[in-house]
Order: sequence, then structure tokens, then C-alpha cells
Amino acid sequence: MTTITADDVQQADRDSSQAVTRRNITIPLKARGEPALWALGGALSVGIVMIFGFLLLVFYNGFTTFIAKPVAVVTLKSGELVAGEPTRSELYKLAPDAVKALAPTDAAKIEARGGYEQRTLYRTGNYDLSGYDFKWVDDRNVARAEFPSDVLFVERLEWGAFVGRIKAAAIDGKTVSTPTAKDPALVQAHEAALQRLQAIRNIERNLIGRVNYDLERLRLKVRRAELNYGPTSPEAAAARANEVEASGPLRAQYELLAAEAQRIRQIDQKNTVTLADIAGKEKTLPLSGLVRFYAANDLTLADKIGIYLSRWWEFLSSDPREANTEGGVLPAIFGTVAMTLLMVLMVAPVGVITALYLREYAQQGRLVSVVRISVNNLAGVPSIVYGVFGLGFFAYGLGSSIDEVFFLERLPNPTYGTGGLIWAALTLALLTVPVVIVATEEALSAVPRSMREGSLACGASKWQTIRNIVLPRAMPGIMTGIILAMARGAGEVAPLMLVGVVKLAPTLPIDAYFPYIHLERSFMHLGFHIYDVGFQSRNSEAGKPMVFVTTCLLIGIITVLNLAAIIIRSRLKRRFAGSQF
Amino acid sequence: MKVAMTDAAPPVAAAFGPPSVHPKRGTDGEAIRIRDFNLWYGKAQALYDVNFTIERGLVTALIGPSGCGKSTLLRCFNRMNDLIDNLRIEGRIEFEGGDIYASTVDTIALRKQMGMVFQKPNPFPMSVFENVVYPLRIDGIRDRKVLDETCYKALQGAALWNEVKDRLHASALGLSGGQQQRLCIARAIAGDPEVLLMDEPCSALDPIATAKIEELIDELRERYTVVIVTHNMQQAARVSDNTAFMYLGRLIEYGETETIFNNPLNVRTQDYVTGRFG
Repeated sequence: MTTITADDVQQADRDSSQAVTRRNITIPLKARGEPALWALGGALSVGIVMIFGFLLLVFYNGFTTFIAKPVAVVTLKSGELVAGEPTRSELYKLAPDAVKALAPTDAAKIEARGGYEQRTLYRTGNYDLSGYDFKWVDDRNVARAEFPSDVLFVERLEWGAFVGRIKAAAIDGKTVSTPTAKDPALVQAHEAALQRLQAIRNIERNLIGRVNYDLERLRLKVRRAELNYGPTSPEAAAARANEVEASGPLRAQYELLAAEAQRIRQIDQKNTVTLADIAGKEKTLPLSGLVRFYAANDLTLADKIGIYLSRWWEFLSSDPREANTEGGVLPAIFGTVAMTLLMVLMVAPVGVITALYLREYAQQGRLVSVVRISVNNLAGVPSIVYGVFGLGFFAYGLGSSIDEVFFLERLPNPTYGTGGLIWAALTLALLTVPVVIVATEEALSAVPRSMREGSLACGASKWQTIRNIVLPRAMPGIMTGIILAMARGAGEVAPLMLVGVVKLAPTLPIDAYFPYIHLERSFMHLGFHIYDVGFQSRNSEAGKPMVFVTTCLLIGIITVLNLAAIIIRSRLKRRFAGSQF
Repeated sequence: MKVAMTDAAPPVAAAFGPPSVHPKRGTDGEAIRIRDFNLWYGKAQALYDVNFTIERGLVTALIGPSGCGKSTLLRCFNRMNDLIDNLRIEGRIEFEGGDIYASTVDTIALRKQMGMVFQKPNPFPMSVFENVVYPLRIDGIRDRKVLDETCYKALQGAALWNEVKDRLHASALGLSGGQQQRLCIARAIAGDPEVLLMDEPCSALDPIATAKIEELIDELRERYTVVIVTHNMQQAARVSDNTAFMYLGRLIEYGETETIFNNPLNVRTQDYVTGRFG
């Protein structure tokens, strides 16, 4: 032990005061972590810019597609007339030889621009008359461009858009010459024509469909009796007799309905409209063949809003037309939502039960590790492989067996033995089950040990503890897994192409015919619709806006589904608010 | 007294000698009798030849420095240690005459007879009411009258009724730490156990909440056999009738609390209770 002297104390004081008053303390930037912070912030901004840039692109294009655009009438120097919606303009490089071949003034202008020429793409429509929908017009060829107020933009059921004028209309056989687009008689007649169209569709699709369905059932009854008891058995004979007896009235009903449809068609024939393109070439078609027509350069704001909304409504509520590039996507919306929900119904219980067993009951050893690694690796298998598996195992394997047992009379037409809603949902459930398993395992392992012990110490069995304490507590985490699975499943396309998604399936999987929910039916899907419209249609230029609109819609649907799940999750979470563990 | 002098036993074992067990105090019987009890976590032995008897209707404190095995021993009484892999035991723990480690014993039934309170309050994320009646719920009791009555009695018993009677159906997680711990005690006694096992019930609480719990333990002694593990020697001195001092997995001394604290037989006990180590 040394004794402390007064000097020591003073020295200590000096030391400490020096330490306190020392200035210019420099801490290196690296130690402060500022560069790391910039990198983190930078990474976040890049991510946000990419995501928002993408969303902005999709939403801008999606939401502007249905705006009614003006129609330009361009007179070329050659005297030719081009009428259409200006879609976009761009500079393009002319071949040097082509520049030399031009008139000297044009060539000089193009040389001045470095060999580039400005051109504009017009949506001319009139495919049936001209053989093209879109036309590029080089600026040097334009004599003048006008926006006359009497030019109409007409959407037709067939052959796409028409740009031109109405030459004449026949309303109930009476001819009206050169009516305007807002002529009340014409508008009224058009509405009546659309209603007739609906009536014809109703007869053909629903009423005659019902009769055909009943006839088919009678035929299948005979076939089943023949298969079960042999073709010469009394049961088969009875079924045949029954078919003959019952099909008589059905056929009479069919004739009646067909006659009624024919009658309406004849009225429809008397209501026609003669359209003329800008050069005067004429085309006559029934009034019911027009979806919508308007004077594109003579629209008030209210008209534009009306057209915009009615186009959205048509898009959301009707069947596709013209190889999916026009009309609506209702079957695809329905198919997407139905398949996603069905998938969630399948993946959630399987995934949660698997994870429960793996985490709570299985002896943690090498086997469980192998299983766990395999499950995680499943998430990395290309989705198309799942599609192949789904087709081979579910549709051709499982489905064919179902057909052989339950739908023998329909063979060789497959019922379950081909792609369908249920097989698509099962395939996607298989695809997304690793996500649910991993998330559920994480959620289960995050349940504090103290909770389990508290429950066990109360004399609860392991199952009671899991059921009453662990599962409710893990539920928000499990929901997160289900949300991720749902988002992944709803956006998947490749495997669906193999297991049930088709280009066109106007019959929904739910209808008025027993058993009302037809899980074996093929269906439409927005993701596949995007691919189909964008890359498989006759005219990719016409499909492009639809790609964006459909993408918007798909993003919107996934958002709504996710929001619903997130709301459920936050409700669950609120029950654990204030938890201090 | 059998002392296991196996190869596995560290040399220090010889230095301890047999535990000093004081003469039994007159009570109405034995609750838990521990006989030659050894326990291994994997290859590491955690308890060595523990022998003593916990008396019915008294508060018994298990004290000792960290890692001395007192919590391990407590968790053997209701077989909570069964959850741990690689656990091996030897010897017997008798409860009401039967070995609780016998293969015929139903751990669920055993745990229903032994309420347990943990170090940290662990109320379930449910309402106060549901927390208290949880032991009844898992027995499938649905009769509202029975549940209400049990809830009232248990909360009264845990001296919590007056504080929570207006918020029985609010989340239990909104209670303060001390209230949560008393709620856990209420939950433990709602199942009507014989024994209450308390594993450092006050270590996560402030002094006022601790005082309340200690007061409660004092009231509980008349109805339950209480075994309490504590780090806090003052607490052991205040609340317990008997005290067992453990050190390095061995029982060093066991007897009336007053004797252990004032006239311990073993020098280690004396060192520990006077604060010279631990």
C-alpha cells in the first residue's frame, strides 16, 4: 500500500482536467460509420427508385390507355389521306441510300438532323378495309394534318376499331343519311341493338345451353347404364327409352329458342349502319356490331370521362374479344382470384401442419435437417418444373384415375384428366408450400419458451399448449408466410400454362349447373393473359396498352388480396400488443 | 448416507463430506422426499446425491450461488426438465409416497398437483380472466359459474382481485410486472395444486412488488407447500420456514431457516449466508 500525497492528488486533478479540456478530438470517418450509412441510404434509394419507377410506368400507361384520344386526318404530299389516333412519335435513322434518293430539300433537312427522320405512328383501325391497324407516317411526307370535328372513332365487335364517318344508318328499315354521332335516334337505336345482342346471347348461351346440358345428361345416363350393365341389358334399354321420351320436349324447346333467336336476329338485320373511311370506302354492318362510337375531336370533358369510365367498366365486366386484345378480362379476374384463394386454402393447412410437426414433434436430428434443407431447396426449383409435375402427376395421374372411377361415361373426353382449376391450385400450393413452412417454423420458434413452460406447468398437454398458446401466438408470423405465398402464387404464370390456364375460357368455374363449382374446368389467368396479349396476338402494337392495363389490374388484385391478409394479421397482432417478451 | 464416489465425481466431492441435515421440525408430514438424486445434462453432472425432505404446509427455500443446481432441482419436482434433451437422472423423488419418475406417472397429472411460478412473469396473451382459468379450460370445464368462482378465489388468493376486478377481460399483458407475477401465482393456484414451486419469483420485480409477493407467500403457506428458489438471502430469511443451501450441485445444509442463518453447521453455509462468497 502506498500512501497518497497531496502532490498525487494535484497531479490526478491536472490529468483529469486535461482530459476534459482537450480539444480537436478527431474521430476517423470510418469509425463514425458515415460511409456505411451513405451506402445503406444509397441502396435503399436505388431500390425505391426502381420499384416506384416500375409502378409509375405501369400505372401511367395503364390508366391513360382508356382515355379517348383525338383523331388526326393527315393529308400526305402524295394526296393520300391517313386518319387515326396519333399514338407516338420517334426519330429513326434512314439508310444513307434512301436519303440520297429523296428530293434535295428533304435530304438536306435529314442530313441536318444527322440522318434522322421524325415519324409518327397513327392508329388507323379499318383493318378489314386496309389490312393494317397502325401506320407510320414520316414527317417529310405530310402536307397537312387536321382534326376535323366530324371524324368518328368507332369500336366494333369484330375487326377492331374503325376511323371514319357514318354515311347512313337504317333504323327499323328507315334510312337516315349522314347522322351525327350524337343523333338521338341513332344513339337510341344503338342501345336497343345492344340490348338485342344481349338477348340473343342470353338465349344462345344460357337457355339453349341449359337444353344442351340436359340432353347431354340424358346421353351420359344411357352411356353409364351401358357401361355398368352392358349394352343389351334392360337397364340400358330403359335409359335409352327414357332418353327418347325426355329428349322430345327438350328438342322442341330448343327449336323454340332457336326460332326466337332467329326472330331477334332478323330485327337486328334491319338496323344497320354504313361507315365510310376517310377516303370514302364504305362498309355496312349491323348496328349491334358497334360497341361504342364518338366524334373524337368534338368531345366535352364529360364525354371523355364517360367514355373513360365505360371503357373501364367494359374491361372489368365483359368477356374478351378479338383474340383477347379487346373487350374485358372478367373470366381472367375470376380465374386469378379463384385460383389464388383455392391455393391458399390448400397451402395453409398443409404448410402449417408440416411446420408444426417439424418444429414441435419431430426429433431434431439429421433426418429432420435433411427434410428441412430439402424443403428450402424446393423453393429454388424453376416453377415450370412444378408445372410439368402438376400436369404429369395431378392431371394425367390423379385426374385420369378420378375420371376412370367417377366419369367413365364421359371418356374419352377427360373431365379431371386434363388441366383445370384444382390442379393449377394444387401445383401452386406445392410451389409455395416451402414459403409457408419456413415462415411457420420461424414463427413457432419465436414463441417464447416461457409461454410454453407456463402452459405445461399448468398441466396442459403438449397438444393443448400448441393449440392454446403456441399457435395463436405464432399466427401473425404464419399469416406473413401465407401472404408471401399468396403473392408468389398469384404472380406465377409458367406452371399454369401447363396445368389449366388457357387463352380463352369464357365459361367461369362457377355457374348454375350442378355441382355449381367446377374445379376441373380450365380457366383464364391475368398473368397468362398479359403474356398472350403482349406476345401471342396478331398485332402487338394493339396489345401493348392492354398489357399495361392488365398488369395494373393484376397488381391491384394482388394488393387487395395482400391487404386483406395484412388486415387480418394486424388484428391478430393487436391481441399481443404490450407483450414485453 | 451413501456418497457416490465414482470416477465422474470431481475431487471436490470429498471435501464437502455428507450434508448437514438438521433434525426435523414437527409438522403434519412430508410433501416431497428426495432420495439419492443425481442429474446429468449430457455428460455434465448437475446434481450430486441430493437427499432431503420437504415438509408439508411449510415454505422451503432453496438458496445457493448461481449454477448450484437449485433451479434444476426445483424443475425436477414437476418434471419440467423432461423438455430438455440428453437429460439423465438417477435416484428418486417421492411425492405422496410414489416416485414421480416412475414410468407409470402421468406428467400432466403431476403438474396439475404442482403449480409453478417462473422467474419472469409469463402471462399468456389473453385476458386476465382467461389467464386465471387456463388450468380449468384445459380440463374442459365450461361452466361459467365454476370459472367465475375459481377466478375470484384465485385472484383473491393472489391478492390481485382488488386491482384487476374491473379489467378482468382486458389483456393480461397490460398489467405491471408485479401484477403479472401475482397473476401467474393466481393461475398456478387456480388449478388447486398441493405444492407451489417458485423459481426466483421476484428476481424481475422492483422492491415494492417483491414485498407484495413475499407477503403473499406468507399467506399461502397455510394452504400450500411452497418451495421457493431464491438468490436473495434476505428473502429466504424473511419468507421461509426451512432452508436448503446448495453448492456446486450438492446439498450442503438443510434445516430451519433461523438455524441456517444464525447457527449453520457447515462453514460454507456460514460463508454464504454472511455474504463472504456467492
